[in-house]
Amino acid sequence: MTDFLLELGKNPTARKLIKTVGLPVPMPQSLRRAKGPAEERPLHDRDVVYGAAPEGVMATVLASTLARAGADVHLLGGGAALQQPFVEPGQAYGRPARVLDPEALPDAFKADALVFDATGLRDPEQLRALYEFFHPLGQRLGSCGRAVVIGRPASAAATPRAAATAAALEGFVRSLAKEVGKRGSTAQLLVVAEGAEARVEPVLRFLLSPRSAFISGQPVFVDARVAWPEQVPFIRPLEGKVALVTGAARGIGAATCELLAAEGAHVVCLDRPQDDSLVSQVARKLGGSVLLADVSDPGAPAAIADELRARHGGVDIVVHNAGITRDKTLARMKPELWDQTLDVNLVAVARITEALLQGPLREGGRIVLLSSVAGIAGNMGQTNYAASKSGIIGYTGKLAEALAGRGITVNAIAPGFIETRLTAAIPVMIREAARRLSNLGQGGLPQDVGEAITFLATPGAAGITGRVLRVCGGALVGA
Amino acid sequence: MSDGKRRAVVIEGVRTPFVKAFSEFLKLDAIALGDAAVAALLRRTEVSRNEIDGIVWGGVILPGLAPNVAREIALDLKLPARVEGHTVTRACASGLQAITSAVSAIERGDADVMIAGGADSTSNAEIKLPQKVVHALAPLAFGKATPKDMLGVLSQLVPITEVLPKMPKIAERTTGQVMGEAAEEMARRNEVSRAEQDEFAVRSHHRAAAGIASGRLRKEVAAVETPDGRTVTADTLVRADTSVEALAKLRPVFAKDGTLTAGNSSPLTDGAAAVLLMSEEKARALGYRPRAAFRSWSYVGVDPADQLLMGPAIAMPKALDRAGMSLRDIDVIDMHEAFAAQVLAVLKMLGSAAFARARLGRDQAVGEVDPAKLNLYGGSVALGHPFGATGARMVTTVANELSDGDKQTALLGICAAGGLGAGAVMERVG
Repeated sequence: MTDFLLELGKNPTARKLIKTVGLPVPMPQSLRRAKGPAEERPLHDRDVVYGAAPEGVMATVLASTLARAGADVHLLGGGAALQQPFVEPGQAYGRPARVLDPEALPDAFKADALVFDATGLRDPEQLRALYEFFHPLGQRLGSCGRAVVIGRPASAAATPRAAATAAALEGFVRSLAKEVGKRGSTAQLLVVAEGAEARVEPVLRFLLSPRSAFISGQPVFVDARVAWPEQVPFIRPLEGKVALVTGAARGIGAATCELLAAEGAHVVCLDRPQDDSLVSQVARKLGGSVLLADVSDPGAPAAIADELRARHGGVDIVVHNAGITRDKTLARMKPELWDQTLDVNLVAVARITEALLQGPLREGGRIVLLSSVAGIAGNMGQTNYAASKSGIIGYTGKLAEALAGRGITVNAIAPGFIETRLTAAIPVMIREAARRLSNLGQGGLPQDVGEAITFLATPGAAGITGRVLRVCGGALVGA
Repeated sequence: MSDGKRRAVVIEGVRTPFVKAFSEFLKLDAIALGDAAVAALLRRTEVSRNEIDGIVWGGVILPGLAPNVAREIALDLKLPARVEGHTVTRACASGLQAITSAVSAIERGDADVMIAGGADSTSNAEIKLPQKVVHALAPLAFGKATPKDMLGVLSQLVPITEVLPKMPKIAERTTGQVMGEAAEEMARRNEVSRAEQDEFAVRSHHRAAAGIASGRLRKEVAAVETPDGRTVTADTLVRADTSVEALAKLRPVFAKDGTLTAGNSSPLTDGAAAVLLMSEEKARALGYRPRAAFRSWSYVGVDPADQLLMGPAIAMPKALDRAGMSLRDIDVIDMHEAFAAQVLAVLKMLGSAAFARARLGRDQAVGEVDPAKLNLYGGSVALGHPFGATGARMVTTVANELSDGDKQTALLGICAAGGLGAGAVMERVG
């Protein structure tokens, strides 16, 4: 199951040899991933280059976000207007922003992240600002770097021209993601609705940190539909929260349980009775609880709801991770394969959610559902699976609307190729191709999906609801 | 504060000369230096030994075989056996910690008369054997060793590089950063220039030299006789003749293109300082003139991986708050000068409204510190910094300034390893 190319690439001699000989695919860059729980300063001593189009609205929030996160900020382009918002946080945190001359970048200068505030762009003619900021920095983003462009939603634009400008950012970011991906770097578009500006801080901390290692080429929408929580702690953000994770025995579920617990949550690990020993091991390791149930069992929703109410007084975070594949082309698919897949992956999710909404799920809760890139792009032999997973996306959007008033967010995660038991079963040639077919040229780890789920479960993710977050390394299909 | 509560007062303080490590005091360890300071305090105050309740002592590099220095001092000086002693360690704030612990004991009614202070002898830092050697040697140290044990020990002592003794180093245990490197980073991040640091250091030396010349500092120092028969009567590190030009020639020591030099950092120093504290009633009953009292204090912690030595920028405003005062109400400010860069960075923070808003949760800056009120007789850069003694040295100088001048209030600030910070507000008594 290990990625041979990735392992080989860690050896400098082998890497050099392969580069000289040439391979049809680029050597993947081993990704930097987070170790341990959330930190006070996730960007400690990291060099971040910042630029903005005139009349951008995000400068104050971004300046304080970067300084508080411990970043050393370098300002590119612009004049006094660009510097002014950085004076106060620079002083407060001893991180004065320094001006970078694009004509005379120091030879050894490599940035850990590039952040561009494009909210000031109104007209397609102004889009050149993107080129002017990113072009001189083309070769200056270090490996496993981050590029984030911040824009406004095209749907809220005042004029067709403004909408074109806002939408253009997405194409730019998706392409940039492909260009920087081979060095393990990512690029995202952060789309901020009016009134949601202050909600960007936790999102940006996540996107600029190694926790978003396998997310790339992605628009991330932040809005003000759900009430902002009273407390948005950076350290142990899930303290006092109860989390339910289905399919907790292995893979993404087990990794998610561990990450949620590391941030302070009490995790109720749910899996089928036949996986008792595995799921118990997971729960024991992180001091969580075990709940044995088969999610497709008609009695399960009530049993889960009762258990959460009786033993934990309710639940704050629900992660619907349990899922199955029963792959066959449609012509060869037996009806029970269709039924099982749809039932476990979609209908059971709806049944359990409905039961939890009858009381156990508390105000300010977080629901995260597992979709799949297959649910976005479709996949040969997965009519059943893809139907269930795109069904999840529809369910997410509608449920989010319904629960916004209760402070509850609902989001879907769409993993791409993740190294799990599921993908290890794929025939070797297809598996190898699937791994390479992403901007990052490699598969993700269960931890990568777990990090995204954990982020969406935090109070600070209140600005994101009804969305699909792909954790796919920028898969070439399905984006 | 005359709200009827018991109050502890500072009667007198005295210290040994502060000398460069590995020089005159080479043969005096922290206990011997403590003995010298406390003996001088007893001589000078003529306090009856029967009145003393206990000793609290601060130290950083504690003698491994007798870490409770306070009790060793009491025994060495043949104080009555009931004079108890305990030793505290809070990095460079240890001396102040010892004093505030003693003040607490008096104000709680646990004691009436306490001696508090601190000492450190970098010259006598113990060179530590790696734990691997200690564990390997255990069978030889405890019980009868067989030849087989001996062979076993030898086999465990390879490779040789892993069993060489470690030289003591003032590095953070969690980050591995040497303190000077941390101060260097603070200089860079808070934009403190080399010139500002050198100027500050020269002022520290000149003020200390003036204080010695006028006798103002000399009266706080008692001569110490060394085991080889010499008598050391004065501080040896202060340089009256230094200048900005001279300091500008020094090479940076912690980073190649850095700004910190031996000239604008506090040197490794041997020395001790002791203070006599009493409850106010006891002082009056015994006929002593109280010099000063503590209105408040505050100890804080910051992330050592961020700005290691910024603690005073949080602790000093907190102490002011607890005293119900603002910086404007303060007549004398005394800050420990670990590095000129660190003091200047902290002063910038105190003067910054942005810092106050983000880090202290208040709208206004704590305030600009008037250089004319700060470190009137120099500080650790000039005088030296025997870690555990510095707090007691500062309390002594401040108490004398409050009682002998026309000043009413003082604010102390000390930074310490581990990201610790200390602040205290003192006031004149009488």
